[in-house]
Amino acid sequence: MKNKSVGRVILNTIRSKWLLTAGIVITVVGAIVTALIPPLILAKVIDTVTVGEMPAFYMILMYFGFLLITGLMESTRETFLTVFGQKITHALRSALMDKYNNLTTGGLTSQEPGTVVSRFVGDVDTVENLFTSGIISMFADACKIISILAVIWFKNKGLAIVLLVILPFLFVFTRIVQKNMLAAQIENRRAVGRASGHVPETLHNIRTIHTLGKENYMEERYDEYIRESYAAVEKTNFYDAVYSPVILILNAIVVAVVMLLSASGNQSVLTLFGMSAGTAVAVINYISQIFTPVENLGMEIQTIQSAIAGVHRINEFFEMDEFSVKKDSYITENMTKKTDNDVLVDFNNVTFAYDDDKNVVENLSFSVKEGEQVTLSGRTGAGKSTIFKLLLGLYEPGKGSVSIAGQKVTAIPDDKKRKIYGYVEQTFHMVPGTVKDQITLYDNSITDEDVIEAAKVAGLHDAIMELENGYDTICKPEDFSQGQWQLLSIARAAAAKPRLLLLDEITANLDADTEKNVLEALNRVSENRTVISISHRTNARTGRIIEIA
Amino acid sequence: MSNTEKNNTMTDRVSYYFKSQWPVLLIITVSGLIYNLGLLAGPWFEGRMTGCLVNILGGKSTFTDMLVLVICYVIAIAVVQISRYIKRFYVRRFANNVNKNMKEVLYNSLVHKSRPQLQEEGAGDILTKAILDVDDCAEGMRKFTTEIFDTGVALAAYAGMLLFYDWRLGLICMIFPPISYIIAEKMKVVVQKTGAEYKVQSGRLSAATLDRAGNAVTYRVYGCEQERKQAYEDNLTAYEKSAVKANIWGTAFPPIYKVISLAGVIFILYFGSKNVLGTGWKSWDIAVLATFVSCFAKLSEKSSHAAKLFNAVHKAQVSWRRIKPLMKHEDYKNADNDVKCDILEVNGLTFAYPGGSDIFEDVTFEAEKGDIIGVTGSVACGKSTLGKVFLCEYPYKGSVKIEGSELAELDNTKKAGLVAYLGHDPELFNDTIKNNILMGDDADTTKLLKAVCFDEEVNEMEKGQDTMVGNTGVRLSGGQAQRLALARTLCHKKPLIILDDPFSALDKDTERKVFANLKEYTKDCVVLLISHRLYMFPQMDKVIWMENGKTVVGTHDEIMKKCPQYAVLYNEQKGGTSDEE
Repeated sequence: MKNKSVGRVILNTIRSKWLLTAGIVITVVGAIVTALIPPLILAKVIDTVTVGEMPAFYMILMYFGFLLITGLMESTRETFLTVFGQKITHALRSALMDKYNNLTTGGLTSQEPGTVVSRFVGDVDTVENLFTSGIISMFADACKIISILAVIWFKNKGLAIVLLVILPFLFVFTRIVQKNMLAAQIENRRAVGRASGHVPETLHNIRTIHTLGKENYMEERYDEYIRESYAAVEKTNFYDAVYSPVILILNAIVVAVVMLLSASGNQSVLTLFGMSAGTAVAVINYISQIFTPVENLGMEIQTIQSAIAGVHRINEFFEMDEFSVKKDSYITENMTKKTDNDVLVDFNNVTFAYDDDKNVVENLSFSVKEGEQVTLSGRTGAGKSTIFKLLLGLYEPGKGSVSIAGQKVTAIPDDKKRKIYGYVEQTFHMVPGTVKDQITLYDNSITDEDVIEAAKVAGLHDAIMELENGYDTICKPEDFSQGQWQLLSIARAAAAKPRLLLLDEITANLDADTEKNVLEALNRVSENRTVISISHRTNARTGRIIEIA
Repeated sequence: MSNTEKNNTMTDRVSYYFKSQWPVLLIITVSGLIYNLGLLAGPWFEGRMTGCLVNILGGKSTFTDMLVLVICYVIAIAVVQISRYIKRFYVRRFANNVNKNMKEVLYNSLVHKSRPQLQEEGAGDILTKAILDVDDCAEGMRKFTTEIFDTGVALAAYAGMLLFYDWRLGLICMIFPPISYIIAEKMKVVVQKTGAEYKVQSGRLSAATLDRAGNAVTYRVYGCEQERKQAYEDNLTAYEKSAVKANIWGTAFPPIYKVISLAGVIFILYFGSKNVLGTGWKSWDIAVLATFVSCFAKLSEKSSHAAKLFNAVHKAQVSWRRIKPLMKHEDYKNADNDVKCDILEVNGLTFAYPGGSDIFEDVTFEAEKGDIIGVTGSVACGKSTLGKVFLCEYPYKGSVKIEGSELAELDNTKKAGLVAYLGHDPELFNDTIKNNILMGDDADTTKLLKAVCFDEEVNEMEKGQDTMVGNTGVRLSGGQAQRLALARTLCHKKPLIILDDPFSALDKDTERKVFANLKEYTKDCVVLLISHRLYMFPQMDKVIWMENGKTVVGTHDEIMKKCPQYAVLYNEQKGGTSDEE
C-alpha cells in the first residue's frame, strides 16, 4: 500500500499487461522497419526502367504492399497505445482513490475538491500523454532517424555525413523555436485569461460602471486586454510561420548539394556521393522523411517536460500521511469489557492539536451514559467541534483515548459505524442519486422500511411522496428547501438506528416555522437514544450540560 | 474603440469583416497563390534533377546543367517557402483582427445593458457565451481562408499537373483519394458518436471525483469509503471503455486512410514504366516518372485535409448563426454630466418588483444640495430597495422630482449623469488601487484615500497605490474594500449619491472621521446614506425610519421621540459595544 508512485503504477501495468506491452514493442519496431523498405523498392523500379526494362509487376505490388503493411502496423500500434494508455490512467486513478481513502482526515480536508479533481483527472491525463505521445513516440522517432541514417549510409555515405553534421544544429533550432513558442503561448493564455475575466467582471460590476458612466473606459480596457493577447499571438504566429519554411528550404539545400556532388564527375567525391537515378529518388524520399521526426522529437520533449510537473504533483499526493490505525484492533462484541456497562461514551484525559499547532483540547475527560442527553457548551473556538471530530473517529487524539461502547472510535470498522452512531451535520451534503440514496448513502443493508421510518421521524415522508417518483426521484438541489435538507440530514443519521446520536448546531438561517419543524424532528429522533449535541440555543432540549473551557 | 468609425456599418454581416480587412486579404491572396502554385516546383525540379543525373551518368549532360538546375531549385523553393511564411502570418493576423472587431461589437452591447436585463433576462449569459463563440467563428474563418489556398488551390494545381503529363493515368490514380475521403466521412458518424459518449463519461468521472472530494468527511463518518471506492472503480471502467472506443476511431484509422489514398501508386508505377519504355499512353522520360510519383504522393496527402476545409466552414457557420442576432452595432450616448440636483422632492413613492408585492409605500421627503439623509430600519425593511429606486432599473409609483422634473421622464443620458450608487458589494475591479479609484480619470488619489482613512494602510503596502486588489478585491479586507469603493465614488461624485451601508465593516472612530470627510466632499450633492449603524445619525440632516413598508421622516431628535424602536436601537448601539467591530 505504501510507497506508491507513478513509476510503480506504470511498471505494474506493464507487468500485468505484458502481452499488450509486447504488442506495442513489435508494432513500434515493425512500423519503423517496414517504412524503410518502399523507397528501396522504388529505387530498384526506377533503376530497372532507366536501363530500359519493364520492372516486374510483383515489385510494384510489393512497393504498395509495404506501404500497406506500414499503415497497418501504425494503426495497430495506435490501437495498442490507446488501450495501454487507458489501462495506465485507470490503474493510476484506482491507486489514487485507494490512497485517498487512507488519508488522514486532516489531509482529506486540507485539499479543495477542485484541486482533487485536477489531480485525479487533469494530472493523470498528462501522465497518459507523457506515455503515449511522449516517451513511446520519442523512442519511435529516435529509431526512425537512426534507421534512415543507416540506410542512407549504405546508399550514399556522403549524404549520411552531411546529415549527421546538420541534424544537431537542426535540433537546436527546433528547440529554440519551440521554447519561444511555448513562452509566447503561456503569455497569450495569461492575456486571454485577463480578457475573458473582464467579461464576468463587467457583469458583476455593471451598476458601478453605469452609475459612474464608465462604459467607454471599460471598452478601452477590454480592447487593451485583447491587444495584449494579440501581441503574444503574433509572436507565436511568427515562430509558427517561420519554422516550416526554414526546414523545407534546408531540405531543398541538402537535396541540391547531394545532387550537385553526385554530378561532379570528380572520382574522389563520387566514392562518397555517387548514386544511380533510382537511388537519387530514394534519397530525396528519405531526406524529407528524416526532418519530420526531428520536429516531433522537439514536441515530445515539450510534452514530457510539462507532464513531469503533473507526475510530481501526483507523487506528492502519494506521499501524504495515511491514517495509521489498524481496523483489526476492533474488539468484537462478546469480548467487550463489561466493567462500566452503562457508560456509552468515554473521553479519557484527551489532549489534541491539529498539525503541531497549539492544543485545542487539553486533558479533557467526560463520559456519557447510555440513554443520556448531553449538550456541549462553551464559547466559540473552545473546541466543541473538535470534540465532535474526535468522537467521530476522524482524528487520533495526541494523548488519552476516546471510546464508544468500549471501542476505540478510530478502530470501529466502516460497516459498524452507522449502527453505533449517527451524525447530523451542520449542513446537508447531497450525494448523487435518488432521495433514498440520500438517506441510505448506498448502504444496501438499510431496508426500504427503515428509509420510510427514518423519513417519517424526520417529518419529511409527505414531502418526499409528493415528488415525481417518491423515494426513487433523482435528487436535485432545488427539490427541497433549506429546512427540508436539514430534515433529510436527520433522516440519514437515524436510518440505521444508531445507539448514539451526534447533533451539530443547526444555526443556519432558518425561518421560525422551519426551525420549529427541525427542532421537533430532532426531539422525535432523540427519544430513547443517547444524544450529544452542540448548540447555542437555549430553547432546544438540553439535558445535562458539559461546559467546555 | 472608435464608435463613430463603425457607424452605418453592417457589423452583423460576415462580408463586413472580410471587406474591412481587404489589405490583409490581398497579401494573403498573392502570397497564397505563389505558395500553392509554387508547390509544383518541388516535384518538377526533383524529377528534372533525377533526369539530369541519368543524363550525366550517360554522358549526355554536363555538370553545369546540374548546377543551373540545382540553383534554380533552391531559389524556387525559397521563394515558395517565403510566400508561405507571409501567407501564414497574415492569415492569422486576419483572424485576430476579425476576432477583435467582433468581440468589440459584443462587448459594446454588453456594457450598455442594464443590470436587470443582464441578470434577469439572461442577456449577460448569452453575451458571455457569444464572446466564446466568436473564437470559434474567427477560427473557422481563419481555417477557411487557409484551406482555400492550401487545399483548394494546391489540390487543383497537383491534379492539373498529373492530368497534364498523362490524363488517363492521372484520372485512374485520382480515384483513390476520394475513396479514402468518403470512407473517412462515413466513419465520422461513429467517431462523433463515440466521441460524444466519451465526453459524457469524462463529465461523469469529474463529477464523481468532485462528489467524492466534496463529501469526503460525510463518507468517512458514515463508513461509506469502501463502497464509494467500488462505485468509483465502476466509473473508471466505464470511462476506460468509452475512452478507448473514442480514441481508437480517431488514431487507428488515419494510417489506413493514407494507404488507401496511395493505392493509385501501383498504376503509376506500372503504366508510368510503360510510358518511359515507350509502350504506354504517353512518352515519358525518367524525370517525368519521378515527378509524377512525388506529385501524386503530395496530392494524396493534401486530399486528407479536404475534410478540414468542410469542417471548419461548418463549425464557423454554426457559431456565426448563434452570434449574428447580437452583432447589431448600436450607438450609445454618454452620460450627461451637467445634470444638477439642488432640490430633490420625493412624494408618495411606492415600489414593488415586477410581479411582487409592495416593498414600501408612500415615502415622502425633500432634500437639498449638501444634505445627508440617513435611512435605517430593521433587517429586510426595504431600505436597500429605496436606494436602488433611484437607479431606475424598475418603474416606481409616486413621484421623484429632480429640480422639478420627474426622474422617470428624464432621458437616459441625464439619468446616467444623476446618480452615483455604491451598494453592499463594493464592485471592485481586478486592477491596482489607483486605477480602481480613477477608472481612467485624473484626480488626486492620495487626497481621496486620506478622505476615506485608507491612506496609511495603502502606504504600508509593498507597492502602495499600485497594489493589485485581486479579483473582486479579494486581497483586501472587507473594510478596506468598502473604503476603496467609497473613495472611487467620491472621485466620480454625481449630484445624487446613494451609499448603501458603506461603513458596516469600519470601527466607530474611523467611521466618524470618514463621515466628517464625506460631509465636506459632498457639499454640492445630495447624499442618501443607508445604514443599520446609528452613531452618525444625530449628525444627519434628516432621518428616514422604515418598518413594515411604512416610513417616518424627520430629524434624529424627532424620530427618537416618534419611534420608540429607533430610540431603542440607537441607545443600544450608543451604549454597548457593537459586536460588528
